[in-house]
Amino acid sequence: MKFTLHRDGVDESIEILAPAPACRFRLGDSAERVADVEIPEPGVYSILLDGRVYDARVEEAATGLVVVIDGYRFETEVLDPRRYSRKDRARGGEGIQTVAAPMPGKVVRVLVAPGDSVAAGQGLLVVEAMKMQNEMKASRAGRVLTVTVKEGATVAPGEILATLE
Amino acid sequence: MFRKVLIANRGEIAVRVIRTLREMGIGSIAVYSDPDRTSQHVRMADQAEHIGPAASAESYLSIEKVLLAARKHGAEAIHPGYGFLSENAEFAAACEDAGLVFIGPSSDSIRRMGSKTAARQTAIAAGAPVVPGTAHGVNLQEARAFAAQNGYPVLLKAVAGGGGKGMRRVDRDADLESALRDAASEAGRAFRNPEVYVERLIEQPRHIEIQLLGDQHGNMVFLGERECSLQRRHQKVMEECPSPLIAQHPEMRHAMGEAAIRAARAAGYYNAGTVEFLVDRDRRFYFLEMNTRLQVEHPVTELVTGLDLVKLQIEIAAGGRLPFSQEQVFLRGWAIECRIYAEDPYNNFLPYPGKLTRLTRPQGPGVRIDGCVYDGWTVPMEYDPLLAKMAVWAADREDATARSIRALGEYDVGGIRTNIGFFRQILEDPEFRAGNLHTGFIDEFFARNAAPQPPPGMSDVAALVAALHTMSRSASPEARPAASSSAWRESGRSGLLR
Repeated sequence: MKFTLHRDGVDESIEILAPAPACRFRLGDSAERVADVEIPEPGVYSILLDGRVYDARVEEAATGLVVVIDGYRFETEVLDPRRYSRKDRARGGEGIQTVAAPMPGKVVRVLVAPGDSVAAGQGLLVVEAMKMQNEMKASRAGRVLTVTVKEGATVAPGEILATLE
Repeated sequence: MFRKVLIANRGEIAVRVIRTLREMGIGSIAVYSDPDRTSQHVRMADQAEHIGPAASAESYLSIEKVLLAARKHGAEAIHPGYGFLSENAEFAAACEDAGLVFIGPSSDSIRRMGSKTAARQTAIAAGAPVVPGTAHGVNLQEARAFAAQNGYPVLLKAVAGGGGKGMRRVDRDADLESALRDAASEAGRAFRNPEVYVERLIEQPRHIEIQLLGDQHGNMVFLGERECSLQRRHQKVMEECPSPLIAQHPEMRHAMGEAAIRAARAAGYYNAGTVEFLVDRDRRFYFLEMNTRLQVEHPVTELVTGLDLVKLQIEIAAGGRLPFSQEQVFLRGWAIECRIYAEDPYNNFLPYPGKLTRLTRPQGPGVRIDGCVYDGWTVPMEYDPLLAKMAVWAADREDATARSIRALGEYDVGGIRTNIGFFRQILEDPEFRAGNLHTGFIDEFFARNAAPQPPPGMSDVAALVAALHTMSRSASPEARPAASSSAWRESGRSGLLR
């Protein structure tokens, strides 16, 4: 079975020629390789490959799979031939900048209003989470189009707080 | 001795206190807010009382609700932990009035040491050196006048502060007004006191503190020092005992210990407390503040002295005498503590609350974990994101460093991001190894280093695992491991595929 992996902006292919435990696979056009694969716990893969032991853990995140090996995180989108589920990563209009909450929290202060001109790095809102106040700043100069939250509002990660043009 | 003690706290420190209470055969009473019903400290305690909603002001900071819970469950004493009400003189006084023993110093000592400005006055009176600064909280005009006289940079600090909340470095006059506003707002939220004062800023200081322990019969000892120079956002993240600097200049330990005891005695202090010092590049030390409670980083002192500070706190509160003298305090070996936070160090240390999907703790020689998390627990967004403290002990600093790296390699937390990998990177750093520490170390470290890169070959393994996992998932959707997305979303998704 052949998959396309999307990692760090690059597509690569992997073909699984034989399943676990005596797994044979091929990455891209390279030579066929053999790995010993066991699954001691759900989501945990013990791999013996090229004389080394790897303990890999898989997390299913909203944006794809995260494979964690020895503390290193590999964020991977898998394009399954039988289940095409690639997310549309296209972002909004070219000239519009959205300011989204990076984490769940509470809006403690709104520092700008629609129509305001802002400089790059200027504070727009202050969001508090876990007792830390974080100022959301404009990444470049522009004009505030909308402010979609009020002071005191509770926001979810990814929720749009304001837009700039 | 007490029969029952209430812990007016949550998180790892509540768990820490319950452990000692259990060893001493004392009953434990936990208190909890709405999101903490399933937290570890509630599950471990003998009794537990709900004290309100998530907002600390209406739960863990409510003196009335905590005392009500103590009366209801028949507590004889209250351990305040750190943070929340632990340095609140009003709370200590309310305990005294209610006939409950506050496990800590007297309300009077807290008053004299609890606010940073009052502590400075006490220290000056006791002859301990202090950093030049204002005697009281300031408004903008007063802050400006101090800066004009002493020059920039200056440091704004919450009068009631601790843990870096309400603290701002200011380099020029143009930033003073907004910095003062932010510091006051943060201080008001964190400590219910928006007062802020100004100090001259000491460049690249080390932060070294002395652990004190005194009884109510006039005996007091110092239990060595802790090096707490590794900080982010003015909050400690890694501590060691002894300090690499003092290990090289052991005469400093006695001088700082004696200065700390003088300052504490001037406040009539008893129970456990910590005097924090800044040490400049010429090894001069300045009294910074006194923390009138148990410190987060107390485990490194426990490992090196072999003492249980919580047990000693409880015995002293019950009227006991210090069971040893200064001559009987020995420091043996080296301890390093890493504070494991739910945060992303490579994205400005942004907090990262969420559900833990996996948890493997390190084991083996010389490793101690003080934690409050378990597999499946959701890290609440309302509180400090400290998950656990990992402290290791070894014969010397080199071995303790190697052991920390080894243990962090075994530590696996899934579903959220943590600073575990960041600690491994710091511990490998030549400057850290050389003991060249100061409070700006982490900022400079990021200027020197990028995020660590995986060794060659690992990326291939990740690709293989991603493919195998996708195969097994589409083969048997019901056997899939717990996903971080919701069951509703999963159900909707599979409905679409039919």
